[in-house]
Amino acid sequence: MSKIQYQFKRTTPLRFLSHLDQQRLFQRAFRRAKLSLEYSQGFNPHPKMSFALAMSVGLTSDCEYGEVNLLDELNSDEFLVRMNAVLPDGLEIIRAKVCEAETNSLSSSIEKSCYLLKVRLAPEIAFVTVADNVESFLKRPEIMIEKRNKKGKMVEKDIRQFIQSISVSQSDGDSEQVEIGMTLNYIDQQCVKPELVLDSVNRLYGEVFMIDPTIECHRQELLLKAGF
Amino acid sequence: MNNYIEKKILPLVTKPITYLGNEVNSVHKTPSEEMIRFAFAFPDTYEVGMSHLGMKILYGLLNEEEDIWCERVFAPWVDMEEQLVKNNLILYGLESMMPLNEHDFVGFTLQYEMSFSNVLNMLKLGHITLESKERNEGEPFVIAGGPCAYNPEPLSDFIDLFVIGEGEEVILKIMDAYRNWKKAKGQRIDFLKMAAQIEGVYIPALYEVSYDENTGVVKSFTPLVEEAPATIRKQFITDLDSAYFPEKIVVSYTETVHDRVSYEIFRGCGRGCRFCQAGMIYRPTREKKVATIQEKIRALVNETGYDEVSLSSLSTGDYSAIETLIKNLVEEYENQKVSISLPSLRIDSLSIEMLEEIQKVRKTGLTLAPEAGTQRMRDVINKGVTEENLLETVRTAFEKGWGHVKLYFMIGLPGETAEDIEGIADLGQKTVAEYLKVDRNLRNKSLKVVLSTSSFVPKPFTPFQWMGQNTQTEFRSKQQQLKAAIKDRKISYSWHDSGVSYLEAVFARGDRRLGKVLKKANEKGCRFDGWGEHFKLEKWTEAFVETGIDPDFYALRSREFDEILPWDFIDTGVKKEFLKAEAQKAQEALTTPYCPENCSNCGIMEFKKGWKCHV
Repeated sequence: MSKIQYQFKRTTPLRFLSHLDQQRLFQRAFRRAKLSLEYSQGFNPHPKMSFALAMSVGLTSDCEYGEVNLLDELNSDEFLVRMNAVLPDGLEIIRAKVCEAETNSLSSSIEKSCYLLKVRLAPEIAFVTVADNVESFLKRPEIMIEKRNKKGKMVEKDIRQFIQSISVSQSDGDSEQVEIGMTLNYIDQQCVKPELVLDSVNRLYGEVFMIDPTIECHRQELLLKAGF
Repeated sequence: MNNYIEKKILPLVTKPITYLGNEVNSVHKTPSEEMIRFAFAFPDTYEVGMSHLGMKILYGLLNEEEDIWCERVFAPWVDMEEQLVKNNLILYGLESMMPLNEHDFVGFTLQYEMSFSNVLNMLKLGHITLESKERNEGEPFVIAGGPCAYNPEPLSDFIDLFVIGEGEEVILKIMDAYRNWKKAKGQRIDFLKMAAQIEGVYIPALYEVSYDENTGVVKSFTPLVEEAPATIRKQFITDLDSAYFPEKIVVSYTETVHDRVSYEIFRGCGRGCRFCQAGMIYRPTREKKVATIQEKIRALVNETGYDEVSLSSLSTGDYSAIETLIKNLVEEYENQKVSISLPSLRIDSLSIEMLEEIQKVRKTGLTLAPEAGTQRMRDVINKGVTEENLLETVRTAFEKGWGHVKLYFMIGLPGETAEDIEGIADLGQKTVAEYLKVDRNLRNKSLKVVLSTSSFVPKPFTPFQWMGQNTQTEFRSKQQQLKAAIKDRKISYSWHDSGVSYLEAVFARGDRRLGKVLKKANEKGCRFDGWGEHFKLEKWTEAFVETGIDPDFYALRSREFDEILPWDFIDTGVKKEFLKAEAQKAQEALTTPYCPENCSNCGIMEFKKGWKCHV
């Protein structure tokens, strides 16, 4: 028995997968690649596989992590080749490494996540205004948002600690759109969604960004404490 | 357009991934001028349509042809429809994202009457002229098949060609005719006349129907041109074992209704249940060989990665070598964690031990369909299942630890009495009694018996095709009666009918005049009638009133045996005389034996040269 941890990317053709869709897709891909997966015990056995992070619908990414427990030994190159032969266009495994079956899961090791977002500006908002607002936003010692807790009650939460940096630049040839780079911290496996950060800018400075599902959100990097 | 839809439209709708056509095993070709573009349309959602076996077969078959590109299109969900209309976009084939109206063919599969409104809506969203007679040169040919095509008349205003029977062979002949027609650069009507000469093809525009002024029933049905045959013979494949079945099927990303490999082990059914249209129109029974089934399933599991295989047919337990087949499959797949499932099991056809064999781990619910509450009524419908069969099955199931049993019934069957309704409750009570007889240590800790009824819809080509459906008031009172007859808290009762069965009865046995109603209902926004939240009976009622058509004439009226029925021009191989005899036997509660036991001469044996049943 062994465990394979792998890094993969998801591009536009498959950006609309839900987390469950992606799980199903990988499970079937493992079968097409003829890998023997380890299954859980119990009444409803399921394969031991997981992702470091759930990906939201619409997100593209250069850097995601997944892991799977196998019944037999397989070297990482073989895994890479066999999987990429069966994965559909839009998902690709970049790197893989074999480790002990008992190795800790990757999700506990996530440190930072870097995003690039393409966002349209609200009507009559100039680029300089955005830059000023973001600068001022980052100077705040605390940024409170309202969030529904697990019991369904609205609670206040400070998200400042999750935000490491935000950079804003103009999109080429489109004055109504800006590109936003964002580095977010994971603290005790918790973080904040980049769209929510933009939303809190809007709340504090008036409508700056157009926030709707057509925002393009791309994860450039996911940093692990232990590296990969 | 593709980029615009991907960036600006799909992020706004639910399940955007279902509108991209890029699933594993989807077929993408490089289009050329000569290529025939075929959009296979399923008039319901992606999740429903992707579970349909016929589409998978024809998609594979057409795409085997180098010069044909067959794509899929489903009814867009209401949010996507809204976006398409708002942005003036045209419904498109998923694979190429080419608008529907630029295809050569748009082919609908008609699985249930309640999808007819979606057919019209999809044509409209595809910017295709709704009525066949007004379609321009250069517009796609709209073609349709499937079980509801056996009475094609209600849709005859909108469909250019119907295929009656199994499409695998006919569709390729139609494609051939199309290639020739394209070379000859003919007019639209020329192609229709060419296609009319292919056996199994019905071109409604080439026929004229007249109706009796007083009674409203069909007076005559006449071909208008010499190319159009007076009778359309249904087509069936003689050698199912070697018939085409794809080795690759499209694997959806989202969860579909039947999210598994579904493999057809035989076609047709010889039980002869009198309410069942499929049992009559899909005759004769034809099986595939065990070795063929295993080999094909192996390829499909390899190509798809699915972890569940379902053996499909009208009555899977009736497959002659079912025990061997299951044993072999379980042996092959047990270690690979691929599970085998059997839909459509008759109560008497398969032992619970066998069920246990394949469902080694999970004991979910056990669903059985006695269909009627009393033996007399089960004999009327020729279900051929006895109370003992049922009780023995549930007892064994309880001994093996099952605790949830669901029993399906129909109400509104011919000659139904209060006693037959109470018999349903009674059977539920007897099921509870069987549970209580089982040793406490063996049986499941909790018991739940669910009785479920549906309202019977008489269908063409069945022995009940002449009967009037129960009124909605009668159905409601029967539901109330049954509800009152249930005394045990372990038994629950579920029913569903909000006028859907009535509308289904209208269209199942409708004629050409219903085209006006469909058109009107489409204008009023009717679609997704099979989806409770979108079914608007009042809109349909308005449509009937405004077109001056009485729906009761179709749903509730009892027909005379000698009346010309709108679908009489179709020959399914099962003779009308046989159906009449069956209707009369039903009145006396006389049963007809299972085909392999004793041939009752339904007519299918003589229908096609060289065919013999059960050899």
